[in-house]
Order: sequence, then structure tokens, then C-alpha cells
Amino acid sequence: MIGAAFGDTLAKAQAGDEAAFACIFRDVQPALLRYLRMIAPDPEDVAGDTWVQVVAGLKGFRGEEQAFRAWLFTIARHRAADAGRSRTRRPAVPLETSEAAELLTSPDTADLALEAVSSRAAVSLIATLPREQAEIIMLRVVAGLDNADVARIVRKSPGAVRVAAHRGLRRLAGLAERTGVTQ
Amino acid sequence: MSGPDAMHGEMPGFFPGRPGGGDHDEPLLDMMLDRRPLPPGAPPEMHVLARTLVAAAGPADARELAGEAVAMAAFRRLASPDGVSPAALRPARRWLPRRPARGRLPLAAVLVTAAAGLGSIAAAYVGVLPGPIQEMAHVTVGAPPSRNSLPRTHAPTGPPRSSPRPAGPSGHRQASSAPAPSQAGHQGPHHGVAGPSPGRAIPTCTPEPVPTRNPVKPGPAPYPTPGQSSWTPRPSPTGGCPVIVPQTPDPHPGH
Repeated sequence: MIGAAFGDTLAKAQAGDEAAFACIFRDVQPALLRYLRMIAPDPEDVAGDTWVQVVAGLKGFRGEEQAFRAWLFTIARHRAADAGRSRTRRPAVPLETSEAAELLTSPDTADLALEAVSSRAAVSLIATLPREQAEIIMLRVVAGLDNADVARIVRKSPGAVRVAAHRGLRRLAGLAERTGVTQ
Repeated sequence: MSGPDAMHGEMPGFFPGRPGGGDHDEPLLDMMLDRRPLPPGAPPEMHVLARTLVAAAGPADARELAGEAVAMAAFRRLASPDGVSPAALRPARRWLPRRPARGRLPLAAVLVTAAAGLGSIAAAYVGVLPGPIQEMAHVTVGAPPSRNSLPRTHAPTGPPRSSPRPAGPSGHRQASSAPAPSQAGHQGPHHGVAGPSPGRAIPTCTPEPVPTRNPVKPGPAPYPTPGQSSWTPRPSPTGGCPVIVPQTPDPHPGH
């Protein structure tokens, strides 16, 4: 999170300052990619499409950092849905093996315990959750959005989002203890 | 969620190793979702989970920032200060060839129509058009008349026909009640007007041909064919419309 300097950084980026835009990109891109790993078959491609749309509408955006992130992740979710539909229309394209799929097909996810605690391992563990729970947890924890913003993005009530997040966290706690990811 | 198929971790307030924990974990879960630090007295499972979430939101690695070049390129194209970067216009240029196509259609239609008209006029002057069209061209643009309406070079006198000739290819049907044999050879030059009798002029509504545009020689017609009689437009006795003066009867009504 950029924090208090976000307003100035956004204003500079809207004026065409590449350094300011790069600052915003580096701040958001990791969370964006990790979130897209939960919902998109090609996270990098969807992230690229998301940034193109963000750049196109950057001058017209008005709001704080939280609102900017909510706007960006809303775009990302839409682009992921488009990518999913496009892939469905072309079933001949073979699906790539993602880390989450490897985890799901792995006979023993305890292999993760051999890895050091890393962002990649944690994200891979979250990816083993049901998609809805994983998406909500990523939006809440990784993207840094509040419950109301996440509810608007996933089009659920705030209460439903909170319940899903809690269920996901409890399940994740069991997985983390079994795999020993953080130990 | 109390059935045998319920996930152990999905049971409310039920953490591994702590059966019957109740809903007291929800504040801790909310704290983790808000990325706030847990109190020191939180269960160890909560700390494990918190560390997992912190790791998921950890710093970026180099691979995750690999798309920066693409994003910066898009930024340079679309978010340039003046907003009119030449690179930004590339997507629009791809559509440029389609836009003038809408304006080319009327031009193409005009050109085709003009070419067809000129070709028709040329064909009319050559005399290769079908009879009715040639007659129309003869009337309108002064092209040579149809071959069926050209004067016959041979105009022998003969016995009167028993029946009139049926309509020729020009489509001009002679009246079946035309009794005079001399009428048979004069069908069609001017909209089917037949001379009732030799030497009798029939006024028509056709304007008098201009000599310079439609020179009609008193002699043989430009395209004389056997069996056709010659005719010469003469001024009408009443003035105005030209008259057709049959000169010879048609000895061969079948042709």
C-alpha cells in the first residue's frame, strides 16, 4: 500500500508521469497476480488486459487508494471472466498445469512443508480452498480491501462474504497445520 | 454444517485440536482478514494461520513484476500527456480502410451506371441492340433505327396479303384489321403506327428527327434488308409531327 502519498502519485500518473505509474504498478501487481491465480486460467495475460484497461481509464479515476484498488480488482475479475468464457469457447486449447492444480492432484500436500515460508507457498495453499473462499480471502488479505468492497466485487452481501471468509480461514488453518507450511 | 461430510475446518469456531471452541474465534479471524496483529494470547493455530496470510501478502518477487514492461508500454501509448500519441492511434488506423468504403459505394454505382449508359449509346449507334431498344435509342439519342424498321431496298409490288404479318421481333404488333397489304411492310418504325393506305400519311407523336442527328437518306437505308420497304419522313400537312409515307408494299410479309 502506498499510503498517504497515493494521491500525489496518482495525480502524477494521470498527468503522464511514468515513474508514478510504475510505483502504482509495483505496488498492486503482485496482489493482482496472486488474486488472478485463484480465478483465471492465465493470470499473466489477464493481468496485462487489466492494466491496459486501467491505463485507459486512469485519467478519469477519482478516489482514494482503497477505491483505486477496488476499481482495479473489479476490472481484473471481469477480465478473468472474459478469459474464462473465451477458453470455454475454445476447448481444444489444452489447459496449463497450474500450481494449484498440482497441489490438488498431489497425493500428499505435506511436500509444501519442505519449502520455506514464502508467498508462493502460501498462495498455493490458499488456492486449494474452494474458489469462492479463496477469492474472498485473497481480496481481503492480499488485495487489502474491506468487507464492503469485496462484497461489491463478488456481488454478494457483506454477511455472506464474511461467512465465506471465516470458513475459508478455518479450513486453511487445518491445511496449514497438516502441511506445516508456516512451521 | 454438522453432518458427517462437513469439513473439519468449516465448522464454526472449531479449530483443529480444539473441539467445541465455539464462535470465539471470529474476532480473531476478522483481525487476520483486516491484517491486524493478533494478541499474544491467541491460540497457536491462529498464529500459524496469520503467518500464512502474511506470507501470502508478502513482497513481490521478480517474476511477478515481469509484466511491467507491457504495462508501461500501454501507459506510454494511452496515457501520454497530450493524449494524441501516434502509437495510440494505431488501433484506430486499423479501422480506417473500412470507413471510406461506405463512401465508395455511391461512386462505384455512378461509374457503373455511366459506363453502362455510354456502352448502350455506343451499341445503339453501332446498331447491335435488340429491336425495341434500338428503336428507343433511335428516338431518344438519334441512333440508327432498328433493322426491322429500315426501309426495304426492294419494293416490288405484289398481290395483297391475305393476312397481316404477325408481330416481329421488335414487338410492334400490327393491327390485325389492317387490310391494306402495303401496311404490312411498315410495321414498327414508329411505335407500331401503320399506314392505312398507300400515300396516306399518318401523323405520329414522335418528334421530327433532327437531320444532323438522325440523317435519313432518301436512298437506301443504312441497314437495308430484303423485304423491308423504305420510308421517308415527310413534314406533316398539318405541321408538327413527321409523317410516314409508305412507298412500297411489302411483298414478303413473312420476313
